[in-house]
Amino acid sequence: MKMSEIVEKTGLEALSAWEDGDIPGVYVSDMASDIITGAPAGCLLLTLQTHKNLIAAANVVDAGMVVFGHDKRPSDDVLELAGRVNIPLFCTGDDTWTYALRLFDLGMR
Amino acid sequence: MTDVRGGFLVIEGCYHCGARSSFFSTEPVAPIDEYRDGRHIWEYLSGDQAVSFGLRCDACGQTADLSAMTGLMMSLCEDPECEIGRLALRLGGQASIYVALCGDSSHESGRCVSDEGIVALGEYFNQGRRPGRRRIVVVPCRLRSDADCCRGIVISDAGLIEL
Repeated sequence: MKMSEIVEKTGLEALSAWEDGDIPGVYVSDMASDIITGAPAGCLLLTLQTHKNLIAAANVVDAGMVVFGHDKRPSDDVLELAGRVNIPLFCTGDDTWTYALRLFDLGMR
Repeated sequence: MTDVRGGFLVIEGCYHCGARSSFFSTEPVAPIDEYRDGRHIWEYLSGDQAVSFGLRCDACGQTADLSAMTGLMMSLCEDPECEIGRLALRLGGQASIYVALCGDSSHESGRCVSDEGIVALGEYFNQGRRPGRRRIVVVPCRLRSDADCCRGIVISDAGLIEL
């Protein structure tokens, strides 16, 4: 599914600049150590974690986009780091479970 | 990726000489005891949740030696006095540099993450990347000029209590 479709259909707020691209799947985790051992390249990474570690982990696995649930917002230094490695960041007011269900309803697996 | 184990990345410092030491602990709680080891007196600095893992080639079954690796750090170093910083300046936006950390920042023991392990880590983290994305360059921590100057973000589960 295209990132633009996900953004539009789930009402995501962009926290950084982004370019459209294919998002082949979803990974849900709040632990950097779990992300580096399990997240597939290009995925939508759904998390509550806003620490810099998250970006270090998302970059090494080549996450396609990061969505912070429950209206969590990262600090400016995290935004700067994500911009440096071109990982687009988004925010949703939904909790993780509700947002994951919305992605499922869109056909994401 | 094989042999994935959860535990703690424990970082210690010697308050006499400033050396750093780290190890991966699978104890239920990160050990925090201060102790003497030769001329060092090691003091607990941090103990975040982390994972250790191995890498095995699916094609030939060979396992890379990552036994000396205690962590992986996204480098933010751009110091021209540091070999890793110079590499970052040379590569610019083409690559992200990750430093494979061994347990002994002083490298007094002469041991660090093996060359074979460094190659395997680079191949593993680049194999599925999308076209046009920054490549991942993995380097051993023995290239750092100084553990306190060559900085970065160690991948561990710091920040969980802030959730």
